[in-house]
Amino acid sequence: MTRGNPWLPRIPLVVQRYGLAVSSVAIALGVGLFLSGQNIKDVEFPIFLIAIALTVWYAGIGPAIVALVLASLAFNYYFTQPRYTFYVNTSEIPYYTVFMIFALLITWFAAVRRRVERNLEKSRDELQREVAIRTQQASLLNLTHDTIFVRDMNDVITYWNRGAQELYGWSAEEAIGKRSHDLLKPIFPTQTDQPFPDHAGVIRAELLRVGRWDGELRHTKADATEVVVSSRWSLQRDDRGDPVAVLETNNDISARKRWENEIRSLNQQLARRSTELEATNKELEAFAYSISHDLRAPLRHMAGYAELLQKHSGPAMDDKGRRYMAMILEAAQRMGTLIDDLLAFSRIGRAETRETMVSVGQLVKEVQSEVLQETEGRNLTWKVGALPDLYGDRSMLKLALVNLVSNALKFTRTRPAPEIEIGSSDERPDDVVVFVKDNGVGFDMKYVNKLFGVFQRLHRADEFEGTGIGLATVQRIVHRHGGRVWAEGQIGCGATFYLSLPKP
Amino acid sequence: METIGRILLVEDDPKDTELTMAALEEYNLSNEVVVASDGEEALDYLYYRGKFQRRSGDNPAVMLLDLKLPKVDGFEVLQRVKADDKLKMIPVVVLTSSREERDMVESYKLGVNAYVVKPVDFHEFVNAIKELGVFWAIINEPPPGSVRKK
Repeated sequence: MTRGNPWLPRIPLVVQRYGLAVSSVAIALGVGLFLSGQNIKDVEFPIFLIAIALTVWYAGIGPAIVALVLASLAFNYYFTQPRYTFYVNTSEIPYYTVFMIFALLITWFAAVRRRVERNLEKSRDELQREVAIRTQQASLLNLTHDTIFVRDMNDVITYWNRGAQELYGWSAEEAIGKRSHDLLKPIFPTQTDQPFPDHAGVIRAELLRVGRWDGELRHTKADATEVVVSSRWSLQRDDRGDPVAVLETNNDISARKRWENEIRSLNQQLARRSTELEATNKELEAFAYSISHDLRAPLRHMAGYAELLQKHSGPAMDDKGRRYMAMILEAAQRMGTLIDDLLAFSRIGRAETRETMVSVGQLVKEVQSEVLQETEGRNLTWKVGALPDLYGDRSMLKLALVNLVSNALKFTRTRPAPEIEIGSSDERPDDVVVFVKDNGVGFDMKYVNKLFGVFQRLHRADEFEGTGIGLATVQRIVHRHGGRVWAEGQIGCGATFYLSLPKP
Repeated sequence: METIGRILLVEDDPKDTELTMAALEEYNLSNEVVVASDGEEALDYLYYRGKFQRRSGDNPAVMLLDLKLPKVDGFEVLQRVKADDKLKMIPVVVLTSSREERDMVESYKLGVNAYVVKPVDFHEFVNAIKELGVFWAIINEPPPGSVRKK
């Protein structure tokens, strides 16, 4: 009724509708006149009713009333006595009334019928749209890589997307209709606060209470291997609020789980190692403490009694005897120095560093004033260049410098014009290099690897004294600061020691 | 004439005791030395107990204390002395082999009056002992109630 006739596109809808009313009555009149001409009586009445019914069906109420009025007039004019007048006999009024009521009834039924049909059409359209949307959604669910399936409250699988097929290895045809518990054999997580965990029961209760649950599960795949999934369940309820289905979305986290386990075991190993290391460190400390206390005492006794013996029997001894005594004393003294140096060296490894900003230039000044006594009377030239500020343990860095400077002083002792140069170069992006250079006796690069080892010496004790711990101490200090040490030298042409330390 | 204060030497090692005595002898300081060979004996002396039950006189003018001692160690002796109102005025000098920083820190925390590391070299050792003896037994005015001999 609202839609125009497709074959009459240019004629306005209202004209079409009322035109239909007029023409259908006209046709009915024509047919009635023709039939009455053929002497077929009393058919005009239903023919007009048919015309009205057609009008109401195709053109609606308004045109139908027009048709009713026209039909009544035409009926009156052409088919009731006296003919060809609009005169109405009183005896015919009931006749007209029945006609009117009948026509109105038809009109009303047709209108109701029409409305029902329109509602039906509308519902059908909506249904089609819904189906289209659902189909699209279902295909979207199939597109996602997530594993999605739906199971009803009896655990029977009702939907199974392609992700599920890819992960578990069963097709939708194989999975739908089976109980998910039988198919996937889920194993629930062991971590729970409950002393006697009824996992499935606990999860089901939570699902019913809050409408969702998530956690980790282990499932068995079609090939009987296990997969760890991160699982999210959502409860679907009907209009009355009764649960009808569970939508389960699962992500394969087996690989992540493997990594996590690996990391955990590595961490455990690390913790074990560090405990072992700590124990070793403690032992070392106890060892050093014991050396400090117990090893020095006998030395002191040796020296003390030798001294007393010398005093007591010195006059009775000959030169040889006195020399032997002197040697014993010297050896004890040297052993004492060695122990002290070794303890200091081990302390550097054990002591905690207290890091601050340190001006290397300031440190060099302090070191210079500390060795002032040694350098007095020597024709020594200092060349101190620009020096950086570093982040580190002040006393350790100073000890390193003291060792390097003492070395330089020691090995230039035989030079008529000793020279010590301290400087830095800042060519690299991450670290800064400080060097101490001398023009002393130098060393053979063949032995450069031995230079920084504990107790390693490149000179005889009667040439240059020393315990062989100084450079080892320097190296240990620099390593503890995350830096590097190396040296260059040539016999008779001096040596240069480099420290590279991280920039602050 | 100078007065000489009594020295309480707490030392477990007889050799160290002998060497210390030899050093003190050189300066005639050895007569007034009492030797306790462990921490317990030192406390016995201070509290007039055990073999020192009948000892005469007052507190020593100075206590030379080793740290590593059998039974009761030097730290404990130091702690007990400094915690006792009657004893805490006694000057205590720790005389030890150890150069360990934590020993030093611990001793000063407990209120030690001086901390001396025994030198390996005998001459230095004798000098250290001599200076200690001279300072604490002669130069220093000990707190009232200490043994002093004309």
